[in-house]
Amino acid sequence: MSNEVFTQLVDAHYAPLYRFALSLARNSSDAGDLVQQTFFIWATKGQSLREAAKAKSWLFTTLYREFLRGRRRDARATSIEDLPPGEQDIAAEDVDRVARLDAATVMTALQSVDEVFRAPLTLFYLEDLSYQEIAEALDVPIGTIMSRLSRGKAQLRAVLAREESSARTKVVSFPIAKGGSQS
Amino acid sequence: MTNQEAKFILGVYRPSGADAGNATFGVALEHAKTDPALGAWFARDQAHAAAITAKLREIAPPAGLREAILAGGRLSAVPEQNRRSRLPAWLALAASVAVLATIGIKLWPNRAAAEEQRLALFAIDDAAHGRHGGHGTAAGALQSMLSLASTRLGGDLPVDFAALQSTGCRTLRVEGHDMIEVCFVRDGSEYHLYVVQRSDFPELPAKDGPIFTDREGMTVASWSDNQRHYIVASGKGRSALEHLL
Repeated sequence: MSNEVFTQLVDAHYAPLYRFALSLARNSSDAGDLVQQTFFIWATKGQSLREAAKAKSWLFTTLYREFLRGRRRDARATSIEDLPPGEQDIAAEDVDRVARLDAATVMTALQSVDEVFRAPLTLFYLEDLSYQEIAEALDVPIGTIMSRLSRGKAQLRAVLAREESSARTKVVSFPIAKGGSQS
Repeated sequence: MTNQEAKFILGVYRPSGADAGNATFGVALEHAKTDPALGAWFARDQAHAAAITAKLREIAPPAGLREAILAGGRLSAVPEQNRRSRLPAWLALAASVAVLATIGIKLWPNRAAAEEQRLALFAIDDAAHGRHGGHGTAAGALQSMLSLASTRLGGDLPVDFAALQSTGCRTLRVEGHDMIEVCFVRDGSEYHLYVVQRSDFPELPAKDGPIFTDREGMTVASWSDNQRHYIVASGKGRSALEHLL
């Protein structure tokens, strides 16, 4: 693979891959390492993939597998059965809330969603992959992806509501001087 | 289709419209058009997803990540002469048999050298871009030992690979296998020791002496013992590394 093709591939995908990695790894340093590791594997092995159209799915899949491998040593299995069902109702207030929050707060909220929901949820919001491609990348059935997205969205909305509520309580209110006199 | 079923399907519809041509959504989308409650829910769900997407796109990768990936890709790409031939399969097979019959086992050292070089270049790339930090008790003990002027590198080292991993030493992934890294300081200069298990890289050469590789202003010395393959990296040049061996 020529340097030019590799550069084009990196330019097209490294930013969304980094955002996906950041949601999984929860810190910038590990996220950067994951993205680099993914492209390293591409440079050494993935270039045998001749269909450029599949490169995007391959990169997201590889990054997720590398994340799982790195985490396996201290992994703690999440029992999906223990998690609450998704609440599908969504209020207009939920939409407004996201607009009010900054990007870092939204990412922090996403990072606090249960991992089993976080990976499909992030891939869905990045919009690079269809739900069928997400199912393939994460190696879970399509129905499971739909279910996890539904429940993950509900969990994210709840976290965002908490984040905003918490931010409000942190605001320090200054007393307003009555009468306008200053000593 | 009930509203509940439609919500389940429409919940994975991307707001960008990228799924517009996907027949899976056809019935549910029609249902949303005719049912005001479902339609309102779908509009809110799409607006919420679009807002999250917009926020995520504001997050920029760290400065230098792109350059580090490109540099790493150039360094780690398998050299052209080692890639599989583009010849037709039967011709490639025939050629391979002929070549193997001619040179026999002489092919093996070349593959071993290529494997050794790939690991050396990976270490150079990692060391050159400052992604360091061996942590944990086992890493601390190894760091202390490596920092001693009396410790000679280039031969067997008392490295407990499993202990280093389990106590938090920095671990990288190389070709699907773990590589640990420990930074240490000797005579005021910083060095980086990378270790892999030989069993993970069966093509590595048998126990051998230090081999030097220079690239990107970094120099590494690589050697193997019976169980592990070591790479020590420095930005201080070959003479600084020779001083450690």
